[in-house]
Amino acid sequence: MLLDVRDLKVEFRTRDGIARAVNGVSFGVDAGETLAVLGESGSGKSVTAQAVMGILDSPPGRITGGEVLFQGRDLLRLGEEERRRVRGAGMAMIFQDALSSLNPVLTVGDQLGEMFVVHRGMSRKDARAKAVELMDRVRIPGARERVKQYPHQFSGGMRQRIMIAMAIALEPALIIADEPTTALDVTVQAQVMDLLAELRREYRMGLVLITHDLGVVADVADRIAVMYAGRIVESAPVHDIYKAPAHPYTRGLLDSVPRLDLKGRELTAIRGLPPNLTRIPPGCAFHPRCPMARDVCRSDEPPLYAVSEVRGSACHFRTECLHA
Amino acid sequence: MPEQPFPPEGVIAGGGAMDLSATEAGTVRRPPAAPDGAGEPAPPAAGPAETADRPRSLWSDAWRDLRRNPVFLASALVILFLAVISVWPSLIASGSPLKCDLARAQQGSAPGHPFGFDGQGCDVYTRTVYGARTSVVVGVCATLGVALLGSVLGALAGFFGGWWDGVLSRITDVFFAIPVVLGGLVLLSVVTANSVWPVVGFIVLLGWPQISRIARGSVITVQQNDYVQAARALGASPARLLLRHIAPNAVAPVIVVATIALGTYIALEATLSYLGVGLKPPSVSWGIDISAASPYVRTAPHALLWPSGALAVTVLAFIMLGDAVRDALDPKLR
Repeated sequence: MLLDVRDLKVEFRTRDGIARAVNGVSFGVDAGETLAVLGESGSGKSVTAQAVMGILDSPPGRITGGEVLFQGRDLLRLGEEERRRVRGAGMAMIFQDALSSLNPVLTVGDQLGEMFVVHRGMSRKDARAKAVELMDRVRIPGARERVKQYPHQFSGGMRQRIMIAMAIALEPALIIADEPTTALDVTVQAQVMDLLAELRREYRMGLVLITHDLGVVADVADRIAVMYAGRIVESAPVHDIYKAPAHPYTRGLLDSVPRLDLKGRELTAIRGLPPNLTRIPPGCAFHPRCPMARDVCRSDEPPLYAVSEVRGSACHFRTECLHA
Repeated sequence: MPEQPFPPEGVIAGGGAMDLSATEAGTVRRPPAAPDGAGEPAPPAAGPAETADRPRSLWSDAWRDLRRNPVFLASALVILFLAVISVWPSLIASGSPLKCDLARAQQGSAPGHPFGFDGQGCDVYTRTVYGARTSVVVGVCATLGVALLGSVLGALAGFFGGWWDGVLSRITDVFFAIPVVLGGLVLLSVVTANSVWPVVGFIVLLGWPQISRIARGSVITVQQNDYVQAARALGASPARLLLRHIAPNAVAPVIVVATIALGTYIALEATLSYLGVGLKPPSVSWGIDISAASPYVRTAPHALLWPSGALAVTVLAFIMLGDAVRDALDPKLR
């Protein structure tokens, strides 16, 4: 297992109290595998990614428990300097908004080349050549000329390609992509996802894809982990989930996506709002919004039960949900 | 598939956890000035039109704005002139500022002495020209010192936060509470050396907290940008983050405030010299001349007006330059 996260817990100190953003999340990613982490805003998916990368803002954020095993080493036990060496070379991250993720005062060539200067101690000239190579690699036309341009001179899709080029520069074993296509047009989204999938196959990288877009997930992911209120509520191979979700929350997510074969019908939405993370409801965190909730859901927090060998669901009524 | 997030964005706990989704709307902003040749898919590489369009950064954009700004051109011209005469005063003034003839005290303008004579019979024109050097040296050196010390301390405080930030912020508060003129009277009255350096040192001592606050705030703002987080995620060290990613983006407000402050430091030097604690005769300074001429304002106003006018024009030029630079670097503030 390339990345093995065990019982990760992250808290934020806020004025309203302690916000438990991640409450015991466990998941694994193999080399060459794509795991999609799915959930609505505030479910803790981005915080999980930041904790794994080691770029959590602390304070106010704090990792209060768990292990992040990457290639067998627990990253949470490494010193800051060792940790820094893992970032970029061992695992890299792609951010949501490529414009704000690129430094406006540096040319894209400088920023791409920086990866080689920082981690490989290359000269500026060699790094520049590498930058051109990478831009070709992510299919940016006219790389040799455009390497001297600034981020604002690129279109949204091209900027995201540059972010991807930075992430794959040192051929890391794992890439975490935090909503890589959310800021892009639908047509460009597909191109960027295809590029990412292609690079993943080529370099046999593990890919953690954080998203709230079920459409993106269906095409590229091998497994899906659904997060709610800082916990994984369902984890399963992608096809199983689309066939029959084993958690009412997953079902709610799937039902709220418009579908061509159900044209004309009204969309079902999940009622209510995600919980305030400083006051997560007792029992199952989803019970106030759950159509299947019964008394036991209000008192007992369901662990992640095994539904099959490859599937887990944190619901007391998972079998009912599966066959509903 | 439409790109709607499924549930409505909800009420969620405050704090850092939520900052992550704050940009979920995903606005891709493009500066209006950017002639973005690259659509998606991008056009064929570098036609002649595209090569003509040189890469533009914040600085080159600012420079383009400045060149067209009459306020900038006028103030830059004045400053250039001041710089030249403070290096080579003999270019336009042939005499010595210390050659005085009491017999001609308080006389008006005469051939070869366009500004007349002061109370000691010294040539006002020569003294005004030579006085520029003191003002420029004090202004430039004090500003450099303040900017360097203030931005380094402020940037470190903003970047690392924690106890260092707390201590530094309290120290700046203490310095802000010191009245500048009173502080100058007290501190400089014990200095006997008659040169510009004690004055420069005093201004740096009292001036750095202002820049330090601005640098701190600017670094904190820039630090929250995604590209800093991205650079961190790709393995940049703290030193590299601060020097290469944060500093160039945070330096603009420091430059603006420092330029405006330069003018006020020149005025401060004149004030201190006027009060007799800055430079003292036989040094040549506009402050000294203003001080010496003020008792005779009724009988020989020219001796007061010329150095005062030179001081006012100089201070104004630097403040206008600062304004122009601010407009160019941050058009939103206009």
